[in-house]
Amino acid sequence: MNKESRLKATINQRLTELGERERLKELLRAKLTECGWKDQMKAHCKEVIREKGLEHVTVEDLVVEITPKGRALVPDSVKKELLQRIRAFLAQHAA
Amino acid sequence: MKMEEGSVSSLDNSKLEGMAQDILSELVEDACLGLCFEVHRAVKQGYFFLDDTDQESMRDFEIVDQPGLDVFGQVYNQWKNKECVCPNCSRSIAASRFAPHLEKCLGMGRNSSRIANRRIVTGNNTNNKSESDQEDNDDVNDNDWSYGAEKKGEHSQKSTVICLNNIFIQTFFHFYFVFVHLSSINK
Repeated sequence: MNKESRLKATINQRLTELGERERLKELLRAKLTECGWKDQMKAHCKEVIREKGLEHVTVEDLVVEITPKGRALVPDSVKKELLQRIRAFLAQHAA
Repeated sequence: MKMEEGSVSSLDNSKLEGMAQDILSELVEDACLGLCFEVHRAVKQGYFFLDDTDQESMRDFEIVDQPGLDVFGQVYNQWKNKECVCPNCSRSIAASRFAPHLEKCLGMGRNSSRIANRRIVTGNNTNNKSESDQEDNDDVNDNDWSYGAEKKGEHSQKSTVICLNNIFIQTFFHFYFVFVHLSSINK
């Protein structure tokens, strides 16, 4: 177990060091906007805000309402593409 | 940086796959959080519901394209020759001369330190102060607020000294050049 978590930590470090994490983040953001996820989520945000009241909305409210739905609504194609890239990175840097 | 090859061969693909899934979850979570912050800021700054404006109201904000007006419909050269009140010395200055005046008045900008140095040197010559170091002079230039107060009183005294100095220098150079000219003729 210890070796695994150490390996995981090293991988994370490599991801950040080589800039790959930033690139993956950007890629994900672009894909999510492209496929309409962002607009969907924004519409959901509007509902939440109307519910809670414009003045009283906090970051916590949004996070609690948005994150689970957001995670669920990511299209499979986007997940697939990201996973491909991550696997490629792991293959290159973990073996 | 070498990876421990021994540790990797003991991991199956499923563990690597698990790792990949974890990384994906982190990235997705990050994207969601980013969205939350973006939305929250938009709400607090008041521009979140901006794109819900109806067509009628949108026409009030259309770009203006008339001569003499800027895109907001305001007249833009109305204040060309107005006068502004300097916040430092409370004098009324013409708008086109305002920026240079403010430079000198506040003691900032490229020329003001040169002028200040010159004035301080001549001030030392006439007031018989102890030879202050160069650094002191620079410090006085940096302290805008102290310098601005001192400037006005000593202005006439120092400018007279500067004029006199200029006359001496000019006379000196004049004689020097005449001398050189004469000596070259004699050769």
